[in-house]
Amino acid sequence: MKRKHINIILVILALAIVFIIGKDFIGNKAGKNMDNPYKLDVDQFKKIDSTTVLYNEIKTFQVNDSSPKGIAVAGKQILVLTEKQLIRYDYSGKELSRFELPDTANCIAPVTKDQIWIGMLHSVASFDANGKLLTRWKNFDENSVITSLAVSGKTVYVADAGNRIVYQCNTNGEILSKIGEKNEQKGVPGYIIPSPCFDLALDDNGFLWVANTGRHSLENYNHDGSLRTAWGESSVKIDGFIGCCNPAQFAILPDNSFVTAEKGIPRIKLYDQHGVLQGIVAAPQLFDNGWYAPDLAIDVNQRILALDFDRKQVRIFEKNVNGNK
Amino acid sequence: MQDNSEPKNIERRRFIRNGMQLALAGTLVGVAALSVKKTRASGMVWQIDPFKCVQCGRCATECVRMPSAVKCVHAYNLCGYCDLCGGYLKPDPNARSTAAENQLCPTAAIQRRFIEDPFYEYVIDENLCIGCAKCVAGCTSFGNGSLHLQIRHNLCKNCNECAIARVCPAEAISRIPADKPYQIKGGFRKTPAKDKG
Repeated sequence: MKRKHINIILVILALAIVFIIGKDFIGNKAGKNMDNPYKLDVDQFKKIDSTTVLYNEIKTFQVNDSSPKGIAVAGKQILVLTEKQLIRYDYSGKELSRFELPDTANCIAPVTKDQIWIGMLHSVASFDANGKLLTRWKNFDENSVITSLAVSGKTVYVADAGNRIVYQCNTNGEILSKIGEKNEQKGVPGYIIPSPCFDLALDDNGFLWVANTGRHSLENYNHDGSLRTAWGESSVKIDGFIGCCNPAQFAILPDNSFVTAEKGIPRIKLYDQHGVLQGIVAAPQLFDNGWYAPDLAIDVNQRILALDFDRKQVRIFEKNVNGNK
Repeated sequence: MQDNSEPKNIERRRFIRNGMQLALAGTLVGVAALSVKKTRASGMVWQIDPFKCVQCGRCATECVRMPSAVKCVHAYNLCGYCDLCGGYLKPDPNARSTAAENQLCPTAAIQRRFIEDPFYEYVIDENLCIGCAKCVAGCTSFGNGSLHLQIRHNLCKNCNECAIARVCPAEAISRIPADKPYQIKGGFRKTPAKDKG
């Protein structure tokens, strides 16, 4: 009887030791779950009013590549640019085709007339719908980092984050003018581009808009390169742009309202044509982290397509009933 | 029959005893050798992998040195030299100025120097830095991530078991060769390159 009691006590002790060791092991060693007295609470800035969300995510599909770079819409097809290839998907996410690119790609222009313009690291190339190379310019220097393209008729606008300038080129690659150089007479403040986040787009009237990300503003230019207007505010509040380089990506809807994507606190927002916040397209909670702002494209039904670089997904957002009101 | 079985038992006992002694000696020598190797660890130093660091604040509170041997370092080739610096200024500051109320660093260890409009240089005063990583969190969240923590080897005691490494939730601290004692961002990269801004 006495020996039995001793055995029971020993078994209980053994179980207690195993429990303590196991708990310590699962808890990743003692002391690892302490509070941080120096914590910078970034999550407080991610909170949004759910009534301001105007869009629903209606479709998501995975990109079959590890290095997506850009997104565009061509009719009923979605084009996803990767570092080495261009992949075509239908709206169900089914891959239709893909073709190889001659160099490391970085950005894709909104598709016009079945001609696909792609920005490489130091060059710009265009392809037909079947992937046949039509033209390629290599007239940019080694400092250039081509981050965005827009095409209007025979004019191609090229954003070069490395040289902090926008080139206005013809389709043969001749540089017609440089837009955005600091010029007090034209009222141009000059670009501040702290990182390779330097997007541009054309509005419905063919005027150029450029994201001056270091100034947290979107700037609108005349064809002669003079500044027409600009809007944007630095703020962690929902109606402003936060961080070093925002809006990192943007697109313009047919009614000349703006869709912006930010990094740092990742979020997609909708502004009217005067820069007044209309609401949220995608809240920060929908994204994993804020290292990369999603690239944006608009389709014919005014749905917003976002290329999520962290999840490597195409995410499609459609205006909800609340948004349509 | 009895005469034959007795010496056999003795042989077996001797064999077991000798075997036990050899095993014990071998174990002792092995453990001693391992202990010496681990204790000396010459040619190895503790360092932080900046890509694993989660800015938990333990480097400030757990180091045996006071203030900590962990300091913020600045990879200038990654810095945007921004006026609105996420590592220097509190989120939504009253003004982009050097006023204490606008500074994120609890010890004002970052100096902001004007270069040319609108660019500013940010320099760490290591005498004031306590390695709390608050600026690292701000720079990583809102900027290019050029501010990061490193163990300064002129301050580190290179303990046998690093007190910070023991509690680091990201297991970002490990021993690395002393001939390459720092893992500075920009020149050092462990994770695959992600060039998309």
